[in-house]
Amino acid sequence: MAAPLELSCWGGGWGLPSVHSESLVVMAYAKFSGAPLKVNVIDNTWRGPRGDVPILTTEDGIVSQPAKILNFLRKQKYNADCELSAKQGADTLAYIALLEEKLLPAVLHTFWVENDNYFTVTKPWFASRIPFPLSLILPGRMSRGALNRILLTRGEPPLYHIQEVEAQIYRDAKECLNLLSNRLGTSQFFFGDTPSTLDAYVFGFLAPLYKVRFPKVHLQEHLKQLSNLCRLCDDILGSYFRHGPMGISPAGPEMIDVNLRKLTQLVNKESNLIEKMDDNLRQSPQLLPRKLPTLKLTPAEEENNSLQRLSP
Amino acid sequence: MQAWPHFPDEETEDAWPRSPCRGKVLSTLPPRRFVPLHGGLATEPWPENATLYQQLRGEQILLSDNAASLAVQAFLQMCNLPVKVVCRANAEYMSPSGKVPFIHVGNQVVSELGPIVQFVKAKGHSLSDGLDEVQKAEMKAYMELVNNMLLTAELYLQWCDEATAGEITHARYGSPYPWPLNHILAYQKQWEVKRKMKAIGWGNKTLDQVLEDVDQCCQALSQRLGTQPYFFNKQPTELDALVFGHLYTILTTQLTSDELSEKVKNYSNLLAFCRRIEQHYFEDRGKGRLS
Repeated sequence: MAAPLELSCWGGGWGLPSVHSESLVVMAYAKFSGAPLKVNVIDNTWRGPRGDVPILTTEDGIVSQPAKILNFLRKQKYNADCELSAKQGADTLAYIALLEEKLLPAVLHTFWVENDNYFTVTKPWFASRIPFPLSLILPGRMSRGALNRILLTRGEPPLYHIQEVEAQIYRDAKECLNLLSNRLGTSQFFFGDTPSTLDAYVFGFLAPLYKVRFPKVHLQEHLKQLSNLCRLCDDILGSYFRHGPMGISPAGPEMIDVNLRKLTQLVNKESNLIEKMDDNLRQSPQLLPRKLPTLKLTPAEEENNSLQRLSP
Repeated sequence: MQAWPHFPDEETEDAWPRSPCRGKVLSTLPPRRFVPLHGGLATEPWPENATLYQQLRGEQILLSDNAASLAVQAFLQMCNLPVKVVCRANAEYMSPSGKVPFIHVGNQVVSELGPIVQFVKAKGHSLSDGLDEVQKAEMKAYMELVNNMLLTAELYLQWCDEATAGEITHARYGSPYPWPLNHILAYQKQWEVKRKMKAIGWGNKTLDQVLEDVDQCCQALSQRLGTQPYFFNKQPTELDALVFGHLYTILTTQLTSDELSEKVKNYSNLLAFCRRIEQHYFEDRGKGRLS
């Protein structure tokens, strides 16, 4: 189909093409299946839709939720699952359900409900991309929606207090991450050597958790210990989003040299390091006093320390 | 009349626990059997008088609750643990989490399939011990799929579809209570379910989309089952119990229209699966027909 397909979604940061999980799922799937999508990032002008993002605008109308958008792309013959067997297709559905039930509440909590994270990272980021009067209202509404969803699906008795609900959802999320890691094992993608819908969903949910710098990070720490999931995210970022998050990247996996991919990953790691250094140096005075001595290190020593922490 | 905790008198010879210095109470534990908490009860065997509580079978119980109750009964049958089914009109309020079914074993009350599976495992019976890590991950994923799609679709059909809600659900849900309590409770429950549907994104779905989701879920289950007798080849696991509970209830419950059961009937291996479990675990054990 030569008709232009336009995707409106939230923009990127911290090395990601988008910070919003659902937008990232759709973008990753489009890259895997080779669909030519024109990505419109939502910015702080009044142009473009803002609710229910991501939205795919086609010549026939508007398609709104990620599952529906993926179905639409499949019907247009952009299918990333053509090499999967029937059983693998069934497994995909099951693992997506597992992600939505067990991991999504914790991701929503980390982004939108946890006060430190919400007020220092999420709210400023989203508010800077929404035009003025709405920027006072929309982030609050999204946060309340996230809290509502967590409480309605998980907050039933005997978990009466929000702390018990939090403890339970983080336990479930850690278990889910462990299960995903066990399933991935040592293979490159979940079903062999080519990425599929499940990889898109896992990437969409995990990459923001992995890359965005939060003050309260214990789920992120747990994720970083599962090196095969981190490697999956880095691989996808390196191979498919190399030319920048916006615009159409014609490079497919066949055209990328293996060495070039490794070099790209190294460069990405270096740029992540530099970002980390930057963030450390700029961090607000809310830090505990005993962390200050490390900030006083010269940049070279700090880079050495970070390198030692990152190397396997 | 002694207040609790009652400390052992110095004269009694066999006060428990026996403190090394007789005559001095060192521990404030009352001298009776320590009631273990939910996790540490591996020593007690399964008692004969274990009971499972659900709502009244003929007039009150709804599709989704029946499915959950049947899943738990199937699971306990597969573990060879006897349990008596007792029907009470206020089972939902008796349950510790507000959901039925719940089982009363010894002095423990546990509700819902997930915690019951863990409880039974702590007692030493487990159906999924023979699975490796990857298979256990798959089992958990498929159980979430059934909960996510089938259970939510059943709730949607019962409470958010106006025809079914008006004709069947309201009448059944409020049947044990006098007017106006029956209407009030039914509307309250409907409001809660609608709120939950809206929060997870099912609020705007039409009935056709919900039925399509059910079809997709059944297709996934059918493809996973293939030609095997159970989902993980020779032995049934809690996934088989859960799937049986939901599918059997969908197949045997009469609603305003047959669309839901038609979706399941399209897959012959699922029908054979339900029949096999019904024959093996319910009829052969002399339990008689399941209603």
